[in-house]
Amino acid sequence: MAVATAGAAEQYNYDIVRKFTVMAVVWGVLGMLVGVYIASELAWPALNLDIPYITFGRLRPVHTTLVIFGFGGSALFATSYYVVQRTCQTRLYGDGLAEFTFWGWQIAIGAAAVSYMLGYTQAREYAEMVWPIDILIAVTWVIYFYIYVQTLRRRSQPHIYVANWFFIAFILATALLHIFNNMEVPVSLFSLKSYSLHAGVQDAMTQWWYGHNAVGFFLTAAFLGMMYYFVPKQAGRPVYSYRLSIIHFWALIFLYMWVGAHHLHWTALPDWTSTLAATFSILLLMPSWGGMINGIMTLSGAWDKLRTDPVIRFLIVALSFYGMSTFEGPLLSLKSVNALSHYTDWTVGHVHMGALGWVAMISFGSLYHLVPRLWNTTLYSLRLVYLHFWLATIGIVLYISAMWGAGIIQGLMLRAFDEYGNLAYTFIESVAFLHKPYVVRAAGGALFVTGIIVMAYNIFMTVRKARREEAELEARLAAKMARAAAS
Amino acid sequence: MSSKETHKPAVQTTGHAWDGDLQEFNNPLPRWWLWAFYATVVFAVIYWVIYPAWPLGRDYTKGLFNTITYETSDGRQVETHWNTRARFLREMQAARAKQEQILQRLAGVPYQEIAADRELSAFAYSMAKVLFADNCAACHQSGGAGVAGLYPNLADDAWLWGGTYAEIEQTIRNGRRGFMPSFARALDEQQLDDVATFVLSLSGFEVDPEAARRGGAIFNGQAGGCYYCHTHEGTGMTSQGAANLTDAVWTVARVQATAGVEANKEAVKAVIRKGIQREMPAWAGRLDDTEIRILTFYVHQLGGGQ
Repeated sequence: MAVATAGAAEQYNYDIVRKFTVMAVVWGVLGMLVGVYIASELAWPALNLDIPYITFGRLRPVHTTLVIFGFGGSALFATSYYVVQRTCQTRLYGDGLAEFTFWGWQIAIGAAAVSYMLGYTQAREYAEMVWPIDILIAVTWVIYFYIYVQTLRRRSQPHIYVANWFFIAFILATALLHIFNNMEVPVSLFSLKSYSLHAGVQDAMTQWWYGHNAVGFFLTAAFLGMMYYFVPKQAGRPVYSYRLSIIHFWALIFLYMWVGAHHLHWTALPDWTSTLAATFSILLLMPSWGGMINGIMTLSGAWDKLRTDPVIRFLIVALSFYGMSTFEGPLLSLKSVNALSHYTDWTVGHVHMGALGWVAMISFGSLYHLVPRLWNTTLYSLRLVYLHFWLATIGIVLYISAMWGAGIIQGLMLRAFDEYGNLAYTFIESVAFLHKPYVVRAAGGALFVTGIIVMAYNIFMTVRKARREEAELEARLAAKMARAAAS
Repeated sequence: MSSKETHKPAVQTTGHAWDGDLQEFNNPLPRWWLWAFYATVVFAVIYWVIYPAWPLGRDYTKGLFNTITYETSDGRQVETHWNTRARFLREMQAARAKQEQILQRLAGVPYQEIAADRELSAFAYSMAKVLFADNCAACHQSGGAGVAGLYPNLADDAWLWGGTYAEIEQTIRNGRRGFMPSFARALDEQQLDDVATFVLSLSGFEVDPEAARRGGAIFNGQAGGCYYCHTHEGTGMTSQGAANLTDAVWTVARVQATAGVEANKEAVKAVIRKGIQREMPAWAGRLDDTEIRILTFYVHQLGGGQ
């Protein structure tokens, strides 16, 4: 066993995967705790305690950055580095470069969080980082791309496994998006402020081209890559359809690039742009579902595993939420639905159905598969995995149903007229109404956070167990050697 | 692997294997999936035909059968292809048209007639409720009760700037600048004390009569000159926004009937010492004439207008 580990450690670079795995959990716990805190601030505004650093406006990007880029990003680095090595049967290219991507990414996340709390932001949603951090991310990302391509080139397999298509599309598209959205001129070399190179409506368009493709390539394509490895692996079944994977892959990456403008319906954006964004969003529905079908149908013939394997449950429930949010997305992108939903909490609910239900759940499942293999042991507790599963699932359901109710009623209140044709409600009445759904949302978030804390504990204990087992094994080996020497 | 798939003998894997056991079946595309995808294509194409959709160099396809007609503010009829701006204008116009008649009546009749006419006053309340909450309630609070010391109460019957319809309308339209000079240098501590005592005596507090007499002399004499604005009787002057000091309604000094004379005296002294500088912004330009009229009517009835 020890020999096998040593062999695997030489064949594959697991060290970098372990580092990113640990950081995914760390950022996940921190980012989600911040999320619950700001959700509580919305329900009970006094919680900002009149301290500027922790007001909603500053903590909100801290939350989104930590969960999307800290938790999601680190989970993607970990799984993509693991998957590319396993499916190419080759060691990751460039140990030093991989190490650089780790530190570059972690420093960028940490610096971003601190700078937001100090009030430094370039005020672009999901791209709030000021320009020096943008540059660090760009360098890190280009190196990531280089490592990935070099590793693929060194593969000892003739074919490139489908998971890697998704990962490479994600890495390439994210580089493009990040660089073009952050083209800016610093006020001076010693200032953190900068001006965007784009102006007016084009600037908004570029921002949401970035914003939506951050969802499309970072939070969808990449996690589909994760799904394509961990679902068949954990189920021990072949992927349902190779053909479907090809068709939905190309359709997905072609169509996603067009839809960003649906975030800007009914604004100064030209109407034709709006139409294209809405229709391409509708066209995107079935290609998105292709991934869900391929994942869920992989389990056909092994449905019983849902009863016995909590890790499979995470993966399959993630795919179900993926299916729901990719149905809701095109619906919300239609102009008439958007007129009701936009600027309400329906949007927030939609994002979290995807973020908690799909991104986080598929990551949890993958990490539970990954951790015992990385540390060469078994999970400390399967019962805790079950506990995590239920905490997370109930948390999500509370969260999204609260936000559906909040968003739809809020939207209806803001457009309601009385029998005289005058506005029926004031803005403040809609705010007062939101208090109760906000409390439910915060409670749902708290359950979800409790879940990831249970996971962090489970992983911590698993690693400790692995260390103990290794020490015991070595002690036994030493004793054997000693006996052999004595006899 | 395929031997395990006896229940699906027709489906083969692609023949590749990664990482030991990772394989792929080569199932055909699910029928319903394919047809649903075609359906979305049909939907998109129809959408593109009807609405502005594809860019053509400097122009773009305008869409068919989607003409919108609306009237500009100078009365011109505009006919255009579907676009969000035109749709917005048309909707606003339709909504206006529905209210046109009643709005015209509201604009034309004297305030007293609005109050007397059930239909007009019901409409005015319906419109004023949101207008007030969105524009006025941030300072004057949702019921118009104001904030003691900061924003006047509109729900009582004391009016700093006058409570007639005309005066209220004037206040809303042009705003008000409340000003009382600081007496910190003009009066010494003893004089401040005496004037405050006098002011409290005006609204019926039991105070030291000797101090009140001295205070009265300052109030009505050259040293204080308070009577310029507040009048000799202390009843105030709405043209100056000077408060009536005899009505036991306190808008700046936090005087309370239940508090002791000493505490109340300190509150009044603080105001005399520091003076007052406060402002209500002008709403002309932000609200239109009808909206100002409707708010005037609403505020007038909130606090027993005069």
